[in-house]
Amino acid sequence: METGQEQERKTKRDGWIFFVVGLIVALVVGWVVFPLLLYSEQRQPLNYSHVKHGPESGVGLECEECHFFYEDGSFSGIPGLSKCKECHEDPESLYTDSPEEAKLLEAFVEPNREIPWLVYSRQPDCVYFPHIAHVKMGEIECKVCHGDFASNDTLLAYKVNRLTRYSIDIWGRNIAGYKSNTWDRMKMDDCAECHTREAKEYNNACFVCHK
Amino acid sequence: MELDRRNFIKFVAGGVGGTLLSPLPWKLVDDIAIWTQNWPWVPVPAKGKFSAVNTVCSLCSGACGIQVRKAGDRVVKIEGRSDFPVNRGALCPLGMAGQQILYNEGIRWKGPMKRVGPRGSEEFREITWDQALNELATRIKGLREQGAPEKLIAIDGNQSRSTVALMIQRFLDAVGSPNYLRVPREEDTHALVAHLMQGTHGPVPIDLENSDFILSFGCSLLDGWGGSGRMQSAWREFAGDTERNRTYLVQIDPRASRTALKADEWIAPLPGTEAALAMGIAHVIVKEKRYNKEFIENHAFGFDDWFDAKGKHRGFSRFVLEAYAPHDVEKITGIQKDAIIRLAKMFAGSRAPLAIAGRGKGLLPGSVYEFMAVHALNGLVGRINQRGNVLTAEDLPLASWPEATYDSVAVDGLNKERVDLAGSPRYPFSQGLLHRLCEAANSTQGSSVDTLLICSANPIHSVPCGKDLKEAFEKIPFVTSFSPFRDETSMMADLILPDHTYLEKMADIVWPPGLQYPLYALSQPVVKPLYRTRHSGDVFISLAQRIGGTVSDSFGWEHFEEAIKERVKGLYDSGKGRVGARGGQPVWERLDKGGGLDKEYPSFQSMWEGLKGSGCWYMPFHSFGRWAEIFQTPTKKFEFFSSKIDLGLRSYAKGGSAGDAASELGIVSHGDAISMPHYEEARTEADDKQYPLLLFPMELINLASGWVGNPPFLNKTLLDHQLEKDALFVELNPKTASQYGLAEGSRAVLRSPKGELTIRIHLFDGAMPGVVFIPLGLGHTAYDRYLRGKGVNPFDIIDPTEDPLSGQPVWWNTRVAVSRV
Repeated sequence: METGQEQERKTKRDGWIFFVVGLIVALVVGWVVFPLLLYSEQRQPLNYSHVKHGPESGVGLECEECHFFYEDGSFSGIPGLSKCKECHEDPESLYTDSPEEAKLLEAFVEPNREIPWLVYSRQPDCVYFPHIAHVKMGEIECKVCHGDFASNDTLLAYKVNRLTRYSIDIWGRNIAGYKSNTWDRMKMDDCAECHTREAKEYNNACFVCHK
Repeated sequence: MELDRRNFIKFVAGGVGGTLLSPLPWKLVDDIAIWTQNWPWVPVPAKGKFSAVNTVCSLCSGACGIQVRKAGDRVVKIEGRSDFPVNRGALCPLGMAGQQILYNEGIRWKGPMKRVGPRGSEEFREITWDQALNELATRIKGLREQGAPEKLIAIDGNQSRSTVALMIQRFLDAVGSPNYLRVPREEDTHALVAHLMQGTHGPVPIDLENSDFILSFGCSLLDGWGGSGRMQSAWREFAGDTERNRTYLVQIDPRASRTALKADEWIAPLPGTEAALAMGIAHVIVKEKRYNKEFIENHAFGFDDWFDAKGKHRGFSRFVLEAYAPHDVEKITGIQKDAIIRLAKMFAGSRAPLAIAGRGKGLLPGSVYEFMAVHALNGLVGRINQRGNVLTAEDLPLASWPEATYDSVAVDGLNKERVDLAGSPRYPFSQGLLHRLCEAANSTQGSSVDTLLICSANPIHSVPCGKDLKEAFEKIPFVTSFSPFRDETSMMADLILPDHTYLEKMADIVWPPGLQYPLYALSQPVVKPLYRTRHSGDVFISLAQRIGGTVSDSFGWEHFEEAIKERVKGLYDSGKGRVGARGGQPVWERLDKGGGLDKEYPSFQSMWEGLKGSGCWYMPFHSFGRWAEIFQTPTKKFEFFSSKIDLGLRSYAKGGSAGDAASELGIVSHGDAISMPHYEEARTEADDKQYPLLLFPMELINLASGWVGNPPFLNKTLLDHQLEKDALFVELNPKTASQYGLAEGSRAVLRSPKGELTIRIHLFDGAMPGVVFIPLGLGHTAYDRYLRGKGVNPFDIIDPTEDPLSGQPVWWNTRVAVSRV
C-alpha cells in the first residue's frame, strides 16, 4: 500500500503528464494540423514555365513583353489570353510536345476563353496599390515583393486560405508569419515596414493606401 | 493514472497554453477579420482594365459631353468632358448618376413583356421579340384593313427633330395616322412666341453668355434651365473673377431658390404676375423713350397706333402707357414701383440686355402671353438677333430622308382630324395636346383611340394631366410602351418593347434648345446592352417591314444607324461647321469671328467616324443683325401686335372678330390686347375663400422630374426637410404656417378642387407667404423600393385650366387649402 505522501506525488506527476500531453497536443494542432486544415491547395489552370519563355530561353521574351505599363500608368498585371495568342494562335500547330501547351490550345485558345489564373499577390479591395509608383519612382525590383518568378520552371502551388480566400503567399508560407526574405509575406505590416524604413513621413498615413 | 476531473482540467490547461504558444489563435483572429470583409453583400469595385469612352449624355436635350470611365466592361464613373463645347466639363447630378439608371436591375425591363393580369396588376410574362413585334404589327395592319389607321396614336418624349422622333412620326404618317403627339415642353412655348412675334420657325437660340444684364423671369438657371451643363459653365463667367465685366443677373422668382440667392438681385412678384412686371418695365422704357428707335421705327409693327380696314388699332406703346403704370403694376405684383423703374432703366441702359422667360428647369410649357410680354422687352431695346439676346437661326442642314410612300388608306387617314384637335381652328397654335387625348378616349361617341404607343415618356407620372391619362387608359384597348423602365406608364401597358437605356444606344440631339450656335450631338453606346432590349429605331424599322406595303417601303433601312447617317450626310454636304470637340476658348466668345468653316474631312465616311468619336458637329458662327431679312411675319417685321394671333382667332370665329373667339378660348382681355403681349389674371374655378393658398410646383436639379426616375444617388442628396423616409415636405412661409397652426415637420393635407395630398411642412423664410412650394419628381407608384411610395406627385391635384393660346395645361396656378392632420 502506498503512503499518503507517495500517493500525493503520484497524483502530482499524473497531473503534470496530463498537462504536458495537453500542451503537446495543442502545439501539434496549432503548428501542424491547423495549417493543413486552413489551406486548400488549388491547381493553376496551366503549369506555365517562366524559364521556358524567358530572356534566357529559346523564346527569349523580356519580362516587359507581358508585364508592362499602359500609357495611362496602370499596370497590365497578368497577361490576358490575347498575349498568349500572339504566338500560340493556331490550335493545330504546337511548338513543343508539352501537355500544358496542348491544354492551352484546346481549353483556352480554341474556345477563346480567358485563362483563370490564380493570383498569388491579390490584395483586398480596400487596398490601393499603384505599381508605377513603386517600380518607376521607387525603383524597386519585381522580385523584392514577388520573389524570383523568372527562374521558375513551374508555377508555385497555389494554396488558398479557406476563411479569407487569399493566397498563402500573403501571410507567408511559414505559419508563424516569420520571413527570411522580403518576398515571403505581403501583409500590411510588410508594406509599412518598407514605408517606414524609407523614412518618407507622408508615405505612412492610412489614406496613402486606403483611399 | 485516471482521467478524473482534476487531470482533465490540467489537460485543458496544457492545451490552452499550447494553443497560445502556437500561431492558431493569432492567425484565426486575423483571418476572421478578413473573412468579415468578404461577406457577399459588401460592395466590391469592378475589376478590369480602365478605359474611357467619350460620348454625349442624352438624358435631357442639354447635350452635355461626357466621359464614361469603365473598369473592364463595367461603367464606374461619368464625368463632364472639358473639351465639349456645350458644357466644357460641367455635368448635372442626374448625368453623374447615370450608372444607376443603367445597372439598377429593379427598374429595368429585361425583354419584351406581355401583360397577363388585369391592367395595373403589374403581372407580365416574358415573350420573344418575334412574338411581340408580330402582335403589334398585326394589330396595326388590322386597323389599316378596317380603314381606321388614325386610331393609332403615339406619345413621343424623344427630343424634337431627333432621328427617333422623326422615325416615329414617319411611321405614323406611312400607316396613315395624323395622331403623333409630343410631350409638351417649354421649348414649344418659346418656339410659339418666336413664331407669333417674329414669324420664325426653327430653333430659338439664346446668347445668354454674352449678355451683360439678364432679367430672368423665373428661369432656374442653377436648377437646370437652359441645359445644366451649359449654365454651370456659363456661371463660371458670370460669377467668376474674370477680367471681363461681370454679368448682372436679376432673378425673378417667388422663392429664395438657388438661382435667386446667387443672383445679383432677387425680385419676388406674386407668382403668375410676371407678365405684369414685364409690362411695367416696358411702360417705363416707352415713357422715357429708352427704346431702340431704329429698330422700333424700321423693323417693328404695332408699336404705334395703326389703321386697317376695321379702323384704328391701339399700338403697344399706348397700351403699355395706359394700362401698366408702375403704380398699377405694384398693386398687381407686389413689387415697389421704384424697383420697377430702376430695373427698367438698368435694362434699357445696358450694353447687351436680355430678358428670358421660363419656369423651373424649362421642361414644362409656360404661359404664351407671359413669354410674349418678356420677349417684347427684348424687342423694345432692339436686341433681337444681336449679341447677348434671343437670336434667329435656320435649323441644322441635316439631309431629309426620301419622302415616305402613302397608299390610299394612309392618305385617307392623314386627312382626318387629329384626336387632340391640335392645329384645328379651336387650337390653331398647338402641336400636341395630351389632355385632349384623354377626352377623346373617354368620349361616349365611340372611341377614336385604339392603339397607343408611348416612347421615351412616362406621361402618367410626369405630365400635368397624368392622372386623367391613367383613367383614360381604361378606354384604350391596346397600349404599347417602349420604355426601358418599369415606370407608371409601362406598368399600365399591354405590351412592352423595351428600348435600350441611353448608355447602351446611339442617339442624337438636334440643336440643344437655347444654345446660341448650331450643334448636332451624337451619342454612342458605352456598353453592350445588358438585357434583351432593342433600339426603338430598329424596332420601328422591323414593325414597318412586318406591316408591309407602302409602310415597309418607307422604311428601307436595315439599321437605325443608317437612318442617322443619311441625315448627317447633309451636314457634310453643307461644307460647313467642324466636327470634334476641342477645349480652349468657349464657342460663344468667337461667334462673330466667322471662322471654323473649314472642311477637314476628305470623305463623308471619315467625317462620320470623327463625329462618332467626338460626339458633335457644330458651327461656331452666327450672323447677327440682318433685321431686314429675319422676320417672317405677314408684315415682315417684329410684331408687338401679332398678326398670326389675330388671323388665327378670326378664322376660329369664322369671319367674326378676334374678340368673339377670345372669350371662347378663355382669354380675359379684349380688343387689340388679345393679339399683344399683356397680363391676364389666371382663370380658375377654385374659390379664393375655400382654397386660399397657391400651389407652386418647383423643380430641383437634384431631383429628376422628367421621364427618367430619380436614381438612388440623387435620393441621397435630398435633405431631411425635403424628404424624410416616405414623407415629402412642402415649403411654407412661417407667417402662413402659423395662420393654420402648422409647425416645422407637421403632417398636413393639401386640398385642391381636384384632390388631396398628404405632406409635411417645412418652414422657410424664403418662401413667399400665401404660396405652398412643392417639389416635382416624387410620388411614384412604380419603379422599385427606392422610389415607390416616396413622397407625393403634385400633378395629382393640379388645376386643369388650359393656357388660352397654346391649349397646354396651366400647372402653376392651382389653388389649395392646407390643414393639419
